[in-house]
Amino acid sequence: MIKFILRRTLIMIPQLLLLSLIIFVLAKQMPGDAVTGAFMGNPNATPEQMESIREHYGLNDPWYVQYGNWIGKAVKGDLGQSYTHKQPVTHLLAGRVANTVTLSLFVLIVTYAIAIPLGIIAGRWTDTWADKLIVTYNYFSFATPLFVFALLMLFLFSFVLGWFPSGGSVDVRIETGTWAYYVSKLKHLVLPGMSGALLATFGTIQYLRNDIIDTKLKDFVKTARAKGVPEGKVYTRHILRNSMLPIAAFLGYEVTGLIAGSIFLEMIFSYPGLGQLFIQSITGRDFTVTTAIVMISGTAVIVGTMLSDIILSAIDPRIRIE
Amino acid sequence: MKKRSFLLLASLMLVLSVFLAACSGNDNASGDGKDKGKDKDTDNGTTEKGDDDNKAELDFPLAVSNDKEAMEDGEMTVALVADEPFEGTLSTVFYSVQYDAEIMEYFDEALLDVDGDYLITNEGAATYELSEDNKTLKLKIKDNVNWSDGEPVKTSDLLYSYQLLGHPDYVGDRYGFMIENIEGMPAYHEGKTKEISGIKIIDEKNMEFKFTEATPSILSGFWSNATPRHHVGDVMTGEVTMKDLESSDKIRVNPIGFGPYKVDKIVPGESILFSRNDDYWRGKPALKSIVQKVVSSATIVESMKNGDVDLATIPADQYLTVKDVDTLELLAKVDLSYTYIGFKQGKWDAKKKENITDPNAKMASKELRQAMWYAMDNATIGEKLYHGLRFPGTTLIIPVFESFHNKEIEGRPYDPEKAKELLEEAGFKDTDGDGIREDQNGEKLVINFASMSGGETAEPIAKAYMQNWADVGLKVELVDGRLHDINAFYDMVENDDPKIDIYQGAWGTGSDPDPSGTYGRTDSFNMTRWTSEKNDELLKQGTSEKAFDLEYRKKVYDEWQEYMFEEVPAIPTVYRYKLKGVNKRVVNYDIDPASETRLYEVGVSE
Repeated sequence: MIKFILRRTLIMIPQLLLLSLIIFVLAKQMPGDAVTGAFMGNPNATPEQMESIREHYGLNDPWYVQYGNWIGKAVKGDLGQSYTHKQPVTHLLAGRVANTVTLSLFVLIVTYAIAIPLGIIAGRWTDTWADKLIVTYNYFSFATPLFVFALLMLFLFSFVLGWFPSGGSVDVRIETGTWAYYVSKLKHLVLPGMSGALLATFGTIQYLRNDIIDTKLKDFVKTARAKGVPEGKVYTRHILRNSMLPIAAFLGYEVTGLIAGSIFLEMIFSYPGLGQLFIQSITGRDFTVTTAIVMISGTAVIVGTMLSDIILSAIDPRIRIE
Repeated sequence: MKKRSFLLLASLMLVLSVFLAACSGNDNASGDGKDKGKDKDTDNGTTEKGDDDNKAELDFPLAVSNDKEAMEDGEMTVALVADEPFEGTLSTVFYSVQYDAEIMEYFDEALLDVDGDYLITNEGAATYELSEDNKTLKLKIKDNVNWSDGEPVKTSDLLYSYQLLGHPDYVGDRYGFMIENIEGMPAYHEGKTKEISGIKIIDEKNMEFKFTEATPSILSGFWSNATPRHHVGDVMTGEVTMKDLESSDKIRVNPIGFGPYKVDKIVPGESILFSRNDDYWRGKPALKSIVQKVVSSATIVESMKNGDVDLATIPADQYLTVKDVDTLELLAKVDLSYTYIGFKQGKWDAKKKENITDPNAKMASKELRQAMWYAMDNATIGEKLYHGLRFPGTTLIIPVFESFHNKEIEGRPYDPEKAKELLEEAGFKDTDGDGIREDQNGEKLVINFASMSGGETAEPIAKAYMQNWADVGLKVELVDGRLHDINAFYDMVENDDPKIDIYQGAWGTGSDPDPSGTYGRTDSFNMTRWTSEKNDELLKQGTSEKAFDLEYRKKVYDEWQEYMFEEVPAIPTVYRYKLKGVNKRVVNYDIDPASETRLYEVGVSE
């Protein structure tokens, strides 16, 4: 097991290097740079200033020199300076990561909290009213675009009913660190979180339901029943253990989506996070930030996949890798 | 009620789909004044304008009508309408995005106030006096002006701004002509000296500036924003480095100023809490606190309707949804910007640092350019796509500069017949009978048009213009067959990509009417590359010492506008209005720069 994790971690290094190279080159291929668009509407800017800023940030160097400089610092943990935000990228990201992770974790937890029970119910009592209702919800959630649904939630629960605030991550009037502060944070989290979670349940419910239906008919389940194992135990001990496998494997991939997956939610609910920063950095040609975020989500993908493999081998002895 | 709610929801969704479409780029106009490309479609306008006369008739008021007393200790919520977090570089020296300026407005102000023409006055926290030869400016800071931490605002704080702006390590866009025009500034900027010889500190409250060149731009562009040296740390003594300063918490987390309010708390990227600055030099501010927060363009109208937000800039495309909300009042004024069509007529010579006009350029015919203007139906575009909130431009100096905008010129209203006539006369005839005009030599004429993507109106506008031109027999095609995002667009236009013959751009004018930065011979931002000796002459006269005489300056600019109207290196297509939505409970709010009402008087009535 340790050997396996070690091997996977070692493979990660060239993977990330390659990723960074591709991203860097692609980013540089975009027409214009951080200075081009930002300066054009500004009557106070002069061409000389633009040139001196390009010089200052090394934007005039050939791409391999820029890449060399960047990677040299990156391995030391310095991701460079953001051109538009005028602060170190690491500093900038730190502020946003917390929000994105909080939001994504909330979404993830709620998703599982909803999806697993629903999947089990639908799988166990197939073709009942409950099952049909769940399946309908499932198709509905699959078909609804997130931004439409999020707006609907916002409209209903914030503007009509007034239960939750319409945007932001916390009320600025409340003193940081107090109990009320955390309550306010949670209140701001519910609406974007629920909007995301209610639509994210599709995969899990569908997988779980199908797998349970499938497993129900397997010989070992029949055997268990024939032995006189009570129905409840048949499900918890025999069927679920098998059916949860693909869900557990999925967890790793879900982590992947945590980083940049909430762009729409962040935009609609004015929730400052990585997703928005990512879009902003691309339109503004803020290369250092773009590269840094791609690197982070790239790392998350690689780690997520590894996590999936580890979970799988931990719970399923059959596919343990030696 | 139900039905109405649904309608609201539907409009919300519509708006959202628009902003999703727009999220890939900025508005086709890349911003105004100091705010650059960051503003989306936040420009706006008045409802109606006279039919054929191209002058704007403001139907919106400039000030709120609520004349009740402001309540004691009220709180007001101000929205920053944005689909992204604000950056939060809260320093006049370092900031780069308009949103940050909108925040700073509440806790910081320039030492010198300005009037309706954006010229400096003696009504602010400091007074000035200009010497006979207009080369020396004496500045005196009033006695009761203190930073919000209690320290007095000193002359050394204003000097500090200049020391930062001119610093060899300064990375930003504010080291412009007005800073460089201080005597000794270039030497300091190159790192040759540690002192700026042209700035003399007499005592804590009195100082003197010496200029290299006497120009009326001093009156509109003089920098008077101080930087609290004691608070942010001194770069000159090595207490802090330039790089650390621009990312410092003293600027981003707990900035101070001497404005009517002080920053209590900032939630990075989303909101700011201000409280009253009891020590404000003009008097006691009316509100106890102000909450300023980012509200997405998709929800701003709803937020204003239900009273979550008292004050906001309303995006142009949502005008129809706010028009009839009875809790709101709409104010509007002409924005400091305009959209234009530029005709490429040459190249920038980077070695000589000047524009070289090519007399044989495809767009070199003056009549062709004039005809293209006549062929454009800007009134309809303003009417249909902006609900009448944008209106046809007439000259290259916008009407905001009341004293300098030439009202005699009425632009070239839509007149396709006249366009055809002009083209015929100039020899652009359809010689092979395919309905498309050939050039004077009988060669096929295809004009390549570059335009920016972003916003839901970019594509229809480009298509409408192309149709307009096709109607008079001119074949105009989009460069690469599509629109380009702002960076790609300016990359091509600035570097004189031979693919481009004409392009649609926008300029923020800043507060100085002097247009030489965008039409001068030695300025690379003159992207049409059109030059002429008469133009050089007029632009020079406009900023000469003689031009301190307003009458003279007006005469020069009148003549310049007439000349540009005749030559048409660029067509001013539309002027815009900026629309503010204000809750009816707000009192003493006025967006007229000429108004006597100041920000500290703004209050709420209930």
